[in-house]
Amino acid sequence: MQRTPSQTVGPFFHEALRWPDGEKVRFAETGQPIVLLGRLLDGAGEPLADSLIETWQLSPLGKPPAPAAGAARPHGLGRVETGKDGTYRIETLMPGAPEGAAPCIEVTVFARGLLKPLHTRVYLADEARVRAEPLLKPLAGSTRLKTLIAAPEAVGNPTVYHWDIRLQGVGETVFFAT
Amino acid sequence: MIDPPYLYEDYRSTHLRAPKEKLLDVPANFFDRPGPLVPSGFVRDSDNDLTAHGKGAPLGERMVLSGRVLDSDGRPVRRTLVEIWQANASGRYHHPVDTHDAPLDPNFHGMGRMLTDDEGRYRFVTVKPGAYPWLNHPFAWRPAHIHFSLLGNAPVQRLITQMYFPGDPLLALDPVYNSVPDGEGRKRLVCALALESSVEGDALGYRYDIVLNGAKSTPFGV
Repeated sequence: MQRTPSQTVGPFFHEALRWPDGEKVRFAETGQPIVLLGRLLDGAGEPLADSLIETWQLSPLGKPPAPAAGAARPHGLGRVETGKDGTYRIETLMPGAPEGAAPCIEVTVFARGLLKPLHTRVYLADEARVRAEPLLKPLAGSTRLKTLIAAPEAVGNPTVYHWDIRLQGVGETVFFAT
Repeated sequence: MIDPPYLYEDYRSTHLRAPKEKLLDVPANFFDRPGPLVPSGFVRDSDNDLTAHGKGAPLGERMVLSGRVLDSDGRPVRRTLVEIWQANASGRYHHPVDTHDAPLDPNFHGMGRMLTDDEGRYRFVTVKPGAYPWLNHPFAWRPAHIHFSLLGNAPVQRLITQMYFPGDPLLALDPVYNSVPDGEGRKRLVCALALESSVEGDALGYRYDIVLNGAKSTPFGV
């Protein structure tokens, strides 16, 4: 059977798709608290004030998040809207990573003007470790690899990571084909 | 190609939001892993009756919207989260960004959600949304539509889309609908009148089945 095609989320999704504390990612385990924040920018460098970001990541132990129970939100999943200035912010725990891999968070962007979502990843590790990722081999000689790395802004508890997403043009973020 | 392209000339908002660089190829099963399992208590029983969220009945043509969520092998997508949102019968969203000069309905917020059952079925009670103008091009009006968000049981199944109504003359003029390159795909976005799910004397039935990608992995217990 042919799959149903994607359509844009449009500008009016906020209340319908807002989850209580959607920006606070939950896990069954405890771990090192981190904050990931930044801005979404379009091809003119203007902020996207009307987009929805979803994040998915492994647990602090590097495992698929255990199912949540009762009335709780699904574990490991973050859902947040961008503000009027294009900013987003999620509070989560440092993802674990399989042996030899760099810790990362998967990010999906929905917005008016996006007829289908954009998929990418943000790495919370230094460039040498990210360059060693097999998935990113096609970017081995490219400066664009850096668009997938978050910069630690304030080390502490939580450590704050800054990562901007540029949809188009100079500094365009690497997005994944699906 | 099933989905629309990122850049679709007739839909203006894509112009500065479509990436220009080549996308990075990832392995075919990259997003095929057990997805988030939504606990049953996350959704309340009344969340799927959009006509019961105000103090009284909303204005408009009451309808029952039901169908199944299936994967591309025809298997039901079980206990997955379906979230919908829509304009009221006058074509106005209960949303601060909507400046269309049509009346708000205090008894209609236009949002609902539920989990599919073990056969992949869902059912919403709502009112038929109105068409509304937008600024994309001269005399642009969006055809009546209901937005759907499907979480799926694996990230490969995640889908946000819009459902349209059969026989709507605005469909031929709508760049969002027409951005889907394939005729079969566009048909998948249109519901069907379904008298068998109507409530006699009360609500007209519409049927809309949604097909997600197949997934080898589903969450434990689903």
